[in-house]
Amino acid sequence: MRVAAVDLAGAVWRTLPRRVLAAAGALGLLIAAVPAATGAEPTPWQTLTLLRGVALTGALGLAFLLDDPARHLTAPVPVRRPVRQALRVALVAPLAALWWTAALLLVPSASRPPAGAITLEAAVVALLALAGAAAAVRLTEGARPGPAVAAALLLAAVLAPLSLPEDWALFVAPGDPRWAAAHDRWAVLLAGAVVAGAWCGPEPLGRRRWRGAG
Amino acid sequence: MTPTVSASGLSLHYGRTRALDDVSLRLTPGVTGLLGPNGAGKTTLLRVLATAVPADRGAFTVLGHDPATSRGRQEVRRRLGYLPQTPGFHPDFTAFEFVDYVAILKELAGRGERHREVRRVLDEVGLRDVRGRRIRKLSGGMRQRVALAAALVGDPGFLVLDEPTVGLDPEQRMRFRELIAGAGEGRTVLLSTHQTEDVAMLCHRVVVMARGAVRFDGTPAELTARAGGRVWSSAGRDPGAKAGWRTGGGSFRNVGDPPAGAELAEPTLEDGYLLVLDGDGDTAEVAA
Repeated sequence: MRVAAVDLAGAVWRTLPRRVLAAAGALGLLIAAVPAATGAEPTPWQTLTLLRGVALTGALGLAFLLDDPARHLTAPVPVRRPVRQALRVALVAPLAALWWTAALLLVPSASRPPAGAITLEAAVVALLALAGAAAAVRLTEGARPGPAVAAALLLAAVLAPLSLPEDWALFVAPGDPRWAAAHDRWAVLLAGAVVAGAWCGPEPLGRRRWRGAG
Repeated sequence: MTPTVSASGLSLHYGRTRALDDVSLRLTPGVTGLLGPNGAGKTTLLRVLATAVPADRGAFTVLGHDPATSRGRQEVRRRLGYLPQTPGFHPDFTAFEFVDYVAILKELAGRGERHREVRRVLDEVGLRDVRGRRIRKLSGGMRQRVALAAALVGDPGFLVLDEPTVGLDPEQRMRFRELIAGAGEGRTVLLSTHQTEDVAMLCHRVVVMARGAVRFDGTPAELTARAGGRVWSSAGRDPGAKAGWRTGGGSFRNVGDPPAGAELAEPTLEDGYLLVLDGDGDTAEVAA
């Protein structure tokens, strides 16, 4: 790439939907801080549910990460779309990691679920949001797919615990005998989200999009 | 003259809708106007030529580069300026910051040199005094000029403009015509428009599209000549006319096959355009 990476990173940073991301981050931390602020002593299940809510809140913010009001104007530029998208993710990833660590530390340590397992769940939800946003960018012409992706993610988060069969359960408690198997499924989902996101990034050379302007 | 753009057999379908149907054309330096009713395929053709969307079939080159390959597409994009129908901006950017952002995406290296180029194009489109103003505080006409500056940055050899004068008042439109005319000096400009006046004033060549296909490709004078002897005035709307409307003077202007003894009128480019469409477009809308 001919352009200086630092210039590109600075320019892309300025196009990020920082208000939405900041709002989602702040709300997530507020949720995580509820037990400490109220002096409550939640059960492990309550703390797990709280952290799942925090993860979902962060993912809802990430659903907006690929929104780009100037998308149509910048569609045919030499810096490729996957590079720009990857840069957006790379710029936000360290902050997201810090934010999640802070959320984990805010909940009472006595009832905190295993950090690795709940972090896997949070990573999957975040990557599903990003994969959904990347799919929306690839398959539609909308410049701001964030609201639709966030709505779909929220709906899926509500419906998944209700509709998944017992054998495929994802949202289980730490003491549940299905805990390890559920996290194997989370790992499969993680791989699926990564593959879907990677597939949606590149711009097709020879085939048209599935939907487009007339 | 070696064409800047050479396209052959471009076709594109959206589901069952044929957006482009075997379009072939060659573009040379100067401003080429692209006319057609809504849904004619103008925007789709522009997006294909701008490499924003690939065609289903057909091939084209821009300045000798084939965008069907990854390397070729990059080379085309390095030589391209594109102003889409709805540009969209990051509203918190200033005009300078936004054009600089596009310049970075166009791989203009060297901060000092790039900033000089950004200032140059902003000066060129008459935004020198407002380049530090946030885009959300600019008028619609000024925003459109920011988008044109973004298209012009890097001095592209091929400029694609999709209805740049829509929504502008007459003074702004005139200003934009000046800018487009200037942009067409020494480079190839493809200008999609609904305004036949834009074509008459700016273009050395005009392409008319309908239903995804090219219906006419020639000079504005040749398009006007299509209506020679086929425009007439009458006291009432002639039922045999393909299109007719009451003029400001109270008489009716008719386009089509005149009856014997009709009072023939001087044809315009718009008359030629209506006759080329001949039922392929929404002539009532065009004539309105």
